Amino acid sequence: MLALTTRKINNKKSTNMKKFIYFISIISLGAASCGKLDNYPMPNAALSGRVVDAGSKNTVQTETGGGGTRVKLEEISWSDNPTPFYFYSMQDGTFNNTKLFVSTNKISVEGAFVPLVQYDNSGNITVDKRQTVDLRKGAQNIVFEVEPFLNVEWVSDPVINTDSTITVQARVSRGTANPDFQNDVSDINLYINSVPYVGNNNFDNRYALTVSYNGSDGNALLGQTITLTTTGKLPGKRSWWLRVGARTTYGLKQYNYTDIKKVTLP
Amino acid sequence: MKIIKYLTILFLACAINACTKLEVAPTNIIQDNDVFTSTGGIQIYFARMYSELPIEDFRYSPARGLNMFWIISPFPAVTGEALSRDQRGAMTESVLYWGDAYGLIREVNYFLQTLPKYVSNFDAGDVQSWIGEAHFIRAFTYFSLAKRYGGVPIVTNVLEYPTKELSSLDVPRSSEEKTYDFIASDLDTAIAKLSETNQQGRANKYAAAAFKSRAMLYAGSIAKYNQVSLFDDSHNRLCGIPSDKAVTYFKAAYDAAVMVEGHYSLYKKAWAAGDKEAQYQNYVKMFFDNESPENIFVKQYLYPQSVHGYDAYNVPRQCMGPNGYSSEVSPTLNFVEMFDGLPKNPDGTIQNLDATGKYKLFDNTMDIFSNAEPRLRATVILPGDMFKGQSIEIRRGIYTGSSAGGISPLIPAGATIQYPTTNLVQSANGSQQAYTLPDNTTINPAGASGTFFADETCSQTGFSIRKYLDESLPQSQVKENNEDQTWIEIRYAEVLLNRAEAAFELYTAGQSGADYLGDAFTDINQVRERAGADLLTAPTDLNDIKIIQKERRKELGFENKIWWDLKRWRILDKEQNNALYRVMMPFMVAENKKYFFDVRKDEKNRYYSFDPKWYYEQIPTDEINKSPSLKQNPGY
Repeated sequence: MLALTTRKINNKKSTNMKKFIYFISIISLGAASCGKLDNYPMPNAALSGRVVDAGSKNTVQTETGGGGTRVKLEEISWSDNPTPFYFYSMQDGTFNNTKLFVSTNKISVEGAFVPLVQYDNSGNITVDKRQTVDLRKGAQNIVFEVEPFLNVEWVSDPVINTDSTITVQARVSRGTANPDFQNDVSDINLYINSVPYVGNNNFDNRYALTVSYNGSDGNALLGQTITLTTTGKLPGKRSWWLRVGARTTYGLKQYNYTDIKKVTLP
Repeated sequence: MKIIKYLTILFLACAINACTKLEVAPTNIIQDNDVFTSTGGIQIYFARMYSELPIEDFRYSPARGLNMFWIISPFPAVTGEALSRDQRGAMTESVLYWGDAYGLIREVNYFLQTLPKYVSNFDAGDVQSWIGEAHFIRAFTYFSLAKRYGGVPIVTNVLEYPTKELSSLDVPRSSEEKTYDFIASDLDTAIAKLSETNQQGRANKYAAAAFKSRAMLYAGSIAKYNQVSLFDDSHNRLCGIPSDKAVTYFKAAYDAAVMVEGHYSLYKKAWAAGDKEAQYQNYVKMFFDNESPENIFVKQYLYPQSVHGYDAYNVPRQCMGPNGYSSEVSPTLNFVEMFDGLPKNPDGTIQNLDATGKYKLFDNTMDIFSNAEPRLRATVILPGDMFKGQSIEIRRGIYTGSSAGGISPLIPAGATIQYPTTNLVQSANGSQQAYTLPDNTTINPAGASGTFFADETCSQTGFSIRKYLDESLPQSQVKENNEDQTWIEIRYAEVLLNRAEAAFELYTAGQSGADYLGDAFTDINQVRERAGADLLTAPTDLNDIKIIQKERRKELGFENKIWWDLKRWRILDKEQNNALYRVMMPFMVAENKKYFFDVRKDEKNRYYSFDPKWYYEQIPTDEINKSPSLKQNPGY
């Protein structure tokens, strides 16, 4: 009885083994067909740089993601009319991409500043400040000097009030003398968040102060020291990150910002 | 040798024979000969095209696109007309309409190219009308593209592949202006050729004219209000229309609207002057009368072949059908406040407090609406109003504190905090614990249709949607894919509003040629009279485009048109700039069973922010990969 059982098991084992061998051989066929390496080299060019205010040479502050500054690459190595490739800048106005292919590109940036490429009413290009850059192996660094629509700057450090709010003073002024880009100021906001990523894309609605203006009402505040206070009682024993943002009605209505200040509530 | 020769010849001969008869038309594919030889065939061809027509009806939502039965995340909750538990902020369309449009355009082009070969089968008048109808369908489709993307590729013939080169399929975008001009010329052809009458659900001459007034009004608004510009390398302005063209388009819109006059009229079958109840009933019935003189172009449904679930998703909670759902659309107080006949503060907001800042008290929830514009009752179910033979009970909670000396607001004005728990009894969901009032009667803290503080399957705002709900549908039949009321895509009230807006724009642009201001005044008053609203007393009252915009938002609310209007006026980014919509919550006072209303910002803190780049939608990236000459819209 015992022997019989063993034999049965052995039989089973041998068929299983055969199946296993077939299986292995099929797998190895598959492995052989996959063995070939990609015929392109890995993207090994890198591009870094910053967008600076042509006047002050400070980087132009922005937000991360869709509402912020982005870098536009038009690869002209093989086509005169390429589909552009974009990547976004960091919120401090610098950018870095280490996985680009070796190529020749027209590079520009888009954001809350006077466009680098401008058209007249008939579609003729009147201004073209794109930079043609040969992206070669290794890192390249480029700087774009732009005129932001608005300069937003701190006047003094944030002050913690006794009612657990924070008051800041800021100033908003025109960043360009070109009248075509001096649209009405529509919003001046104090953003606050519990993480260092703060801006119109990322803020705490409970405490931020958002003020919008109709028509040209907001323009009266240009050049003035503006005092802004957060709304609601801020929870203490933690850090908050703040910045002031302002925008005009031009184009996609993107924001200009101050840099970010950290405030720790006791 | 000879044998081999003969065999070869024989073999070759066989081969020749075998090849002669291979061109048999496949019997499982319908051929032109089957379709273009009978009126029935043509009708089937049109039925298919109409079924694909991009009508944003009961089966459309921006989250899921066209012809989709599952309409949660409803369109009105994107515009601010309403709030919904399944739509928690502003959005742009996430299903992008592009490929289906060009499929339908191809069908139209194929029809226009093929029909001339078969004209001998038909009456010449019919053929002309069908050509006009096909142009209407093409214009309708192009307009659906233009209002989303601006300028789009214009394709007027059937693109051939693989007989033609692949590159010939890569058609670049035309300018936005040329796209609208093409729509206008297709509609002019449609107006010239279409017959005066047609089957229900199909366009006639006046449907084409009415639609032209809509399309041209959009074009004029883009020319006047748009700030975004995009050029391609061939100097075509893909986004934006030169502002000096605004007058041309407004004039075209006005002329087209005038063409419809006398052929359609406002529905007033059950209307009576000075009788608010009759005016209310009339407005409700308008959406269910298939013989309505107001219906210019409709999309019909028929159970069980073609159905939707409008009632299942939208009835108030207490009318919920056997399979669940309900209350997807809760109109905002912002929407309700636009209407006449409500007690209002000087700033236009509803007056829920007395002069001393305490809540006004009412015997029942309908008292504050006793004088409301009939159109409001027909559009929105107000708390305590009758629907399906029952009073729709909407109550946020019971106030158990003292009412002596008046009740002060529960939370500070403008606050976004939750209601306090002291002096308030509330319900988390529909299984409620009855509360015993001081007079020993018991009552549930919240109404049968809400509002519960946790479960959101109830009214979110103090109101529920009324428009288009079928009052005769038994509760057992309130199910998804079970409703078949007709969708009215174009009705005469819209034509009047198009006409008024175009006329007013022409007037403000200093155009002479007609008494444009007087015309706008008459149009608006016709709409208002039927609605039971307050009339304008003189043309000079019409001193702001906002009056016409507001009338449009009231009349066409919840008909899936408002989002496009707010977009073409380019005011949506201003309106939805980190915005919270307002709600009005009825509370019962335990002590005396009276009611007060608390007006507040949305309790669930659904902030709305419309991104200005959404004025032009993103062209699907896979379409750009297929057709590299398509230039993407700004910001994407």
